[in-house]
Amino acid sequence: MKSLHSLFSHAALQQPTGTATDDRAQAFRPVEGGNQMQSGEKLLVEAYAAIWLIIFAMVFLSWRRQKQIDRRIDALEAAVQKARAGAGQGTS
Amino acid sequence: MGANDERVPRRVALAASRDATAGGVRGASGGSSIAFSVLLAASALAIIGTLHFVAYVVPTEASMGIVQKIFYFHAPAGYAMYLGATACFIGSAGYLARGTQWWDSLAKSGAQVAVAMGLIVLITGPLWAAKAWGVYWTWDPRLTTSLLSVLIYIAYVVLRAFTGDSDAERKFAAALGVLGAANLPIIHYSVKMWGGNHPTVITGKGGGLGHPDMKLALGLGFLSFTLLSLALLWARLRVDLASARLAELEQEALEVGIGED
Repeated sequence: MKSLHSLFSHAALQQPTGTATDDRAQAFRPVEGGNQMQSGEKLLVEAYAAIWLIIFAMVFLSWRRQKQIDRRIDALEAAVQKARAGAGQGTS
Repeated sequence: MGANDERVPRRVALAASRDATAGGVRGASGGSSIAFSVLLAASALAIIGTLHFVAYVVPTEASMGIVQKIFYFHAPAGYAMYLGATACFIGSAGYLARGTQWWDSLAKSGAQVAVAMGLIVLITGPLWAAKAWGVYWTWDPRLTTSLLSVLIYIAYVVLRAFTGDSDAERKFAAALGVLGAANLPIIHYSVKMWGGNHPTVITGKGGGLGHPDMKLALGLGFLSFTLLSLALLWARLRVDLASARLAELEQEALEVGIGED
């Protein structure tokens, strides 16, 4: 019986007052203070995601551009050498 | 200015710096390539180590909570922006004095690093401020001067990307690179000169970082971003020098009668 009483008294403590229930049903109020409106965890994840996205994008774009240029240089060097060799044979 | 008009001064500049570019333009050649790989690996290791330390060792800040951990990458990114901007200043001054490809490429690469690091600063700062100040942005002196500096380097990068590559345009960009650096000390001393909300945890006379692990994490952050900005600077420099070598080869190819493709 004592434990039952304790349970009910606990429930009574948890029960919101009638005014609070009415408030929740009829109005939404923001918390006081702007800094409570943001989740610190979410902001931290967003910040770290932005950092690594920018860094990886820069590394990847540099690597891809370097590969493209290297391929083009190889092809052009070979073509220029071939053309010069052909021109040399033609004149001699 | 027509395309042919641009090629003449460009070829002069390229010919003057041929020795400088020919040695180090290829992606996988010689000892410089090994040194670059070592630098890249060292920066990756330092970043992973810093991330681990910040996530698992550094205590959470008492009043702000976990969002304060943005600081260990935000402040080093600001410092790395200074490094990129300094490289842009040195390269621009070098180009105005010597007029060679290498200095121009250094200036261009420095500006690109400054933009990347500046964007990190401008994104992570407001995310921290949303929690600490309750607003993403305020026209605080340090925030405003930092934004101005990033806009200057964005203007530099856009200028180089969308205009020609003649000597006149390079000199104009070099002037912007030199004058743009004037804002760097203003960013640094803006808090002292004009006050504002921006924290002065590192340079201020207050309590600073209240735990030895916080100080170590910040030190690791600075080390990581120093290595990272040097690696990015080197990577962009290699790309730009290779691009200049490619332009030179395309001229040679046209001279010997090879078409564009």
